[in-house]
Amino acid sequence: MSTTHLLIELVLMPLVAFVVGLAMLLMLRKIGARLQRRVGPPLLQPLFDVIKLYSKRTQVSHGLLHEAGIVVAVGAYVAIETLVPVPGMNGIAEKGGLILLSYLMMVPSLGLALGVGQCANPNGSIGLSRAMTAMLAYDIPFMLVVFGVAWQFQTTNLVELVAVQQAGGIATWGIVENPLLAIAGLFGLQAMLGKQPFEIYVAPAEIATGPMVEMGGKFLGGLFVMQSFQFYTAGVLYTTMFLGGGENWFTFLIKIFVVVAIPLSVAFMFPRYRTEDMVRLVWKWPVILALLGLVVAVQ
Amino acid sequence: MSVLDQLLVFAFMTGAVASFIGDRRFAGTLLAILYFGQFLLLVKLAPLGYGAQPVVSAWQPALFGEVLVWRMDALGWYFALITVVAGWLVTWYASGEWGQGYRERGGNLGLMHTAVAANVVAMLLLLSSGNLLSLFVGWELVSWAGFLLMVMNGRESGGVSGPAGLRYITYATLGAMALLAALAIAHHASGSFEYIDLIDAVDQMTGPTRVSLVIAFALAFTIKMGLLPFHLWQAPAYAYSPGPGGAFLGAISSRVGLWGLAMVFGSLIGIGRIAGIELIPGWFDLRDVFMWVAALTIVLPTFTALRQNDARLLLAWHGIGQGGYMLLGLAAGDALGTGGGLMHVLNHASYQAPLFLAVFAVMHRTGTSDLNRLGGLVARMPLTFLVMLIGIIGLAGLPPMNGFVSKYLVYISLLRQGEPLLFILAVIGTLGTVLSVFKLLHNTFLGQLRVEHMEVREAPWSMLIPMLLMASVVVVTGTAPGLVLDWVASAQAALGLPVLDHTLGGAAGLDMLWVSGVLVYGFAVGTLLFLSGNKSRRVHQFDNYAGGHFLTAENQYQYSDQFYAGLMHHIGGWYRASFTWAESVVIASVDAMSAAANGFFRRTQAVFLLLLATLGSVAWLLWGVGS
Amino acid sequence: MNDFPLPVRAERSNPLARVFDELIDFCRARSMFMLHYCTGCGAIELPPAMTSRFDMERLGIQPMVTPRQADILLITGYVSIKTLKRVILTYEQMGSPKYVIGICSCTVNGGMYWQSYATAKKLNEYLPVDVYIAGCMPRPEAVIEGLRKLMGEIKAGRANSWERYFREYDRYLAAQQNLFGPNWQTPTDIIGEARDYQLYGPGTEGRHTELLQQHQVPLQPLRMTLHSDVEKSS
Repeated sequence: MSTTHLLIELVLMPLVAFVVGLAMLLMLRKIGARLQRRVGPPLLQPLFDVIKLYSKRTQVSHGLLHEAGIVVAVGAYVAIETLVPVPGMNGIAEKGGLILLSYLMMVPSLGLALGVGQCANPNGSIGLSRAMTAMLAYDIPFMLVVFGVAWQFQTTNLVELVAVQQAGGIATWGIVENPLLAIAGLFGLQAMLGKQPFEIYVAPAEIATGPMVEMGGKFLGGLFVMQSFQFYTAGVLYTTMFLGGGENWFTFLIKIFVVVAIPLSVAFMFPRYRTEDMVRLVWKWPVILALLGLVVAVQ
Repeated sequence: MSVLDQLLVFAFMTGAVASFIGDRRFAGTLLAILYFGQFLLLVKLAPLGYGAQPVVSAWQPALFGEVLVWRMDALGWYFALITVVAGWLVTWYASGEWGQGYRERGGNLGLMHTAVAANVVAMLLLLSSGNLLSLFVGWELVSWAGFLLMVMNGRESGGVSGPAGLRYITYATLGAMALLAALAIAHHASGSFEYIDLIDAVDQMTGPTRVSLVIAFALAFTIKMGLLPFHLWQAPAYAYSPGPGGAFLGAISSRVGLWGLAMVFGSLIGIGRIAGIELIPGWFDLRDVFMWVAALTIVLPTFTALRQNDARLLLAWHGIGQGGYMLLGLAAGDALGTGGGLMHVLNHASYQAPLFLAVFAVMHRTGTSDLNRLGGLVARMPLTFLVMLIGIIGLAGLPPMNGFVSKYLVYISLLRQGEPLLFILAVIGTLGTVLSVFKLLHNTFLGQLRVEHMEVREAPWSMLIPMLLMASVVVVTGTAPGLVLDWVASAQAALGLPVLDHTLGGAAGLDMLWVSGVLVYGFAVGTLLFLSGNKSRRVHQFDNYAGGHFLTAENQYQYSDQFYAGLMHHIGGWYRASFTWAESVVIASVDAMSAAANGFFRRTQAVFLLLLATLGSVAWLLWGVGS
Repeated sequence: MNDFPLPVRAERSNPLARVFDELIDFCRARSMFMLHYCTGCGAIELPPAMTSRFDMERLGIQPMVTPRQADILLITGYVSIKTLKRVILTYEQMGSPKYVIGICSCTVNGGMYWQSYATAKKLNEYLPVDVYIAGCMPRPEAVIEGLRKLMGEIKAGRANSWERYFREYDRYLAAQQNLFGPNWQTPTDIIGEARDYQLYGPGTEGRHTELLQQHQVPLQPLRMTLHSDVEKSS
């Protein structure tokens, strides 16, 4: 692959992720609206929001770290997008892999955590403590799933993972080969996206949106961008592990939107769990499913 | 006189200088220069790290007909490098304001310098030991040098360090006894103290002898490393040592246990033979025992660390947990696992030392390491914050720092060997570490700055530069892990283990050069996006959302106590302090036995008992000689 | 009331820049995050406006939680003097451009609390109100009608009464001091903010800001520094 080609991919992959991610943000709000029998926001609403937030005249910052936190939160996702293969573009996916990606996906959250920390608002700190606890909870089933998938396909390389599944057709897709792991993964996805019922770290009425409490203007705009990347990455990662990646952009987009739509739809039917109940739930069912899936995978 | 001799002599000289003039004002600087000299001599030995033949000492004293041999190979050089650099930088740290402050608080600075120098000498002697006898001599020296550093801080630690040190030396004596037993078995089997003879003899050993040899060695080394269930001594002993000394101990001292285990797993006995000792045939062998001990050592101390409110104890408990990763990798036995395990030694030292030093810098300025009495210091101590930030990312094992690379190798090794449970325990350890170190960072540096800390100043450069140097190692070897993996591969070769196939960017499909590069690119994009908005305006911490409340200095607007309340609500009941309880049971029974023996001896005819014992011994001797 | 007319924003000559300005105004109009400070009975009319019957979200209006995130401060009902302090604190913490909507008669002239000693009568004296929605209480249709009016103003680039608060801060402070006493202060440094963002006008400082500066505990941001001496001198 030529250098120019690679450079184009490095620019294009985050850009695509951003656009698709914004569409997913819209989908989130549309699903919510439809489930509540409302019309919901217009097509370009996420874009309006982001532009408006970045164009605020006065921007309140609590210090350098507050600003750096947002930069890291967005920037790390830009980096992550170049490490996940999409149809026609592999970026530098060969240089990383499933394990690296699982850990790299903690970096944006930690960047955000630093920024929130300097906001010096206890609501934010409480939110962080809950978000960290949630991470401890959902990453255990998620890493079991990662282990199972890597064991099943005997590789942690995402490009190979996609190639194997596409060569064998639907019968070799992760979801067909090991549905238990796929279900556990979906469960983990729900918590990873921080949607109800695992939304305790935001809890608007209790701790005033937790980590977002002091975020306004371009800071909040950065978080919107980060969230769009997060939805996209979660969808692509799940698709790569279980749904054979993307043969072409058409099927790929259908797959990732369906994947992300499931947790978003579930979200609007639940209230929140308390932290300890969330931990209990996530350490029980998805872990059991993932362990059963592992037994299947090792057989 | 070989370079090794020069190094040892130089190290002795450093110790002598420290003991004579260690309490002078300029002593710290002089000592730092001397340590740098040791470092240069190690650099002269650098070919060892790239596959050269071991360097032998010319000095080979004989003791009761047995010769003490010192010989440095790639493994010893790798550990010695870490030791000397750690000693150098912590001494530099203590050379300026910290040392003065320590003296003003009533501490014995000269003794501290001497103790650190003694530790370095002892460890160099141990790491370059060329046969079992010099190994034992080095081992004892290391134990007692560590003890000196641990107990000397009685006044500063409020009397806690003394009991902690005594507890350590009790454990260490047990370990030394085990090592002595191992030596006895080895000598019995091979007829000499040479490593080579032992390696040959292992094949001829009967099963039980081999098992007892492995267990005796393992007991000695695991106790020093603080592996479960012998971990209780370590955290308080390290945490309450004088600052730089604690950093040195936490960084490298207990890793000599790993060094010993690497010798056992590698050249002396061999991981294959250990795996051949089956406890439940087909299911569970001795190697699995090591792996499970390692995995549990990762999880339990890490979650103990999560509950600590004293920054020093928190870090010290993490030090125990990180030892688990090293052993887990080593016991995995393949090129990836042992490579990851050995690399983790350097990585751990490179972030644990600056983390300790950062905590002590905060203590130096604020007088406390209580995580509930700090906060918001990032505005006052930004460079110390930076050091701690890099350190905790390394400790938590997240990319792009070096801690991730070594853990990654261990993960991949476990993945390839199909060990999901051990893998998930390692992951749980990492997650627990992330939680715990974030609490450390948050409660110290983030949140609201307390009124009493408004005038706090950044630590002086004499403390900052060593910290920043260590932190830069974390970043550089995270971006280009191949630098360290070269040395690790040589160490693996020296041990006879499979050698890790690596590039400058990493191994096993990981290329940290690319990952770090793309992260820099991502941060650049993020910065551009951020700057596309209007300029931001800084506000005071009291200009903050409080539901319409007016914030003042009177009420603390900070969340730090019981940081993970929700989690603890769920798992808090699982902390049973079982090991402390078990330890107290052992202590109580030993107490009872000694009281009973004491009572029996005193109340009955003491002279008669003495006579009986003497006669018995003489009879045994005569009988023994006769046969 | 308008001693100092607001400077009219000059149309930029570069057509691209003009399009850019219009785009931004359009986005601001189509994305309004509101913070509702529900002090009285008017709050009851907001849930219907947000939920399935009237659905504000189709206009891009959604509720937010903290002042930092919000564009619109929605005050529904009477403001007692105690409440008004919090309303002002909240308003000052919002990022500009920001808009205030007073719902119900109480915000217009005190409504049925006209004779109360503890109620601030005209919200407009303390904060620059963009839109009043009168009624006791106004129906959700009226609330949405008011929001649409504001939307139209924003789109046309005319909804800039928030600048008044910076450019005529002295006047607003006068009314606030009159009500809360001379020791009144908020943690936000409005004058500094006005200077930083070129919102400083002839009425920003005056007699009342002098009074404020006499007793104000300076709340300089905690600058990241290696030596705290910098902080002492500032």
